[in-house]
Amino acid sequence: MKGLLQIELFKLFKKIRSWLGPVLIFTLIIIAYPLTVEYSTSELAKSFYSILWLGALMTIMFSTEDIFLEDYLDGTMDQYIVNNISLPLIVFIKIFVYWLLIGVPIGILSFIFAIVFTSNFESSLLIGLISLVVNYIYFAVFSFGNSLSLNKGSLLSSLVCLPLVLPILITLGKFITALEYALNFYSYIILLLGVLSIIITIIPFLISFILKAHLD
Amino acid sequence: MFKKFFHQFASPKTFYFVSQKIFPYLFWLSIVSLIIGLIWGILYAPVDKVQGNSYRIIYMHVPASFAAQSLYMMIAVASFIFLIWKVKLAAYVVKSVSLIGASVTFLALISGSIWGVPTWGTWWQWDARITSTLILFIMYLGLISLHNSFNNLDKADKFISVLALVGFINIPIIKMSVNWWSTLHQPASITLSSKPSIDLAMLYPLMICIFSFLGLIIAIVLRAIQYEILLREKNKKWIQSIS
Repeated sequence: MKGLLQIELFKLFKKIRSWLGPVLIFTLIIIAYPLTVEYSTSELAKSFYSILWLGALMTIMFSTEDIFLEDYLDGTMDQYIVNNISLPLIVFIKIFVYWLLIGVPIGILSFIFAIVFTSNFESSLLIGLISLVVNYIYFAVFSFGNSLSLNKGSLLSSLVCLPLVLPILITLGKFITALEYALNFYSYIILLLGVLSIIITIIPFLISFILKAHLD
Repeated sequence: MFKKFFHQFASPKTFYFVSQKIFPYLFWLSIVSLIIGLIWGILYAPVDKVQGNSYRIIYMHVPASFAAQSLYMMIAVASFIFLIWKVKLAAYVVKSVSLIGASVTFLALISGSIWGVPTWGTWWQWDARITSTLILFIMYLGLISLHNSFNNLDKADKFISVLALVGFINIPIIKMSVNWWSTLHQPASITLSSKPSIDLAMLYPLMICIFSFLGLIIAIVLRAIQYEILLREKNKKWIQSIS
């Protein structure tokens, strides 16, 4: 498993545009946000969070575009199946590696931008941590969509997957409201962690079922 | 005995001939009763005290939104059967119902939007039920476009069934979370649910409309599945013998 992890990490790390590109796009989206409104700090903080969540959502949606495509095209996936390596494990490692190289930087950037826009250290730290959890959920769901539309482009997968992540966005909105009015927000964090635990276990099996159907 | 019946009915050939027999009765019966229900509802049901005559669109709106949700249930059950028992007919059901479900959901959205103008004074309101219906519509469109983008129909059937099942698990979650979201933001806009329950004189035609509309939809679904069978199994002997 360690070897597989190293291989996948190395494969993604060598494709710089695949992991640095999304992070830069996320940064650009957040930078573009203040340019579109009349500049005043209080106005900016008001809808900063929705831009943050949507920016992360869109970035991850496009960054997972070729998560399984290359392995599918060059026959690596066939090799995994022939050599009897567990496909769910591979899928899990792939999602984890993507999260590590794209999701974690986005989480850190969310923390930094939250400080910049709201100048509240504690809540910004929470935002960063929540962003890490949510990014993993996004990666899992969008890789599911991309496994469905493997070589048909990412437009199809985003159409298919966006309705599935709407409850997450609603939970995030509730979390932000609770944070702003100093209500009890731990229930939302626990809810997101519960969703994360379900998704970590189920999604690799679903995706490997679909990938096997592709290879038939 | 049930198993034998199930196996027989699941073969496209038996299904084709049985539904060929059922179709005209179901279709004309529901057309006639739908017309009766609509005439009763539009001409003879009493005028609503609050909304005036504009409420009469429920005789179209409620059956459509009722059917929109039940059709997704049908898709989910069929895709479950297809994934577990590999019944071919279930895949045809998933494919053809997704198209009809999308159009029915669109009808529900449009009629609700038209109804919104005299009652709420706006075409669109970010209300929980409307939003979840819109999401349902997008999910239907996702199913259709996923199925259309594969030339290999066996693959497409598998993928659409997986997606339909995942969506089916997600639908109650979406509904609950959307409810949860909108109750905070706009509790006053939902004037509809706070009204007293419907009068019997309005309810009878509404029930007739709902059941006959469902019957009509089932008849159309039967026809669509027959079409799908003809399309996919056109090389089989029994199809060539009837054509």
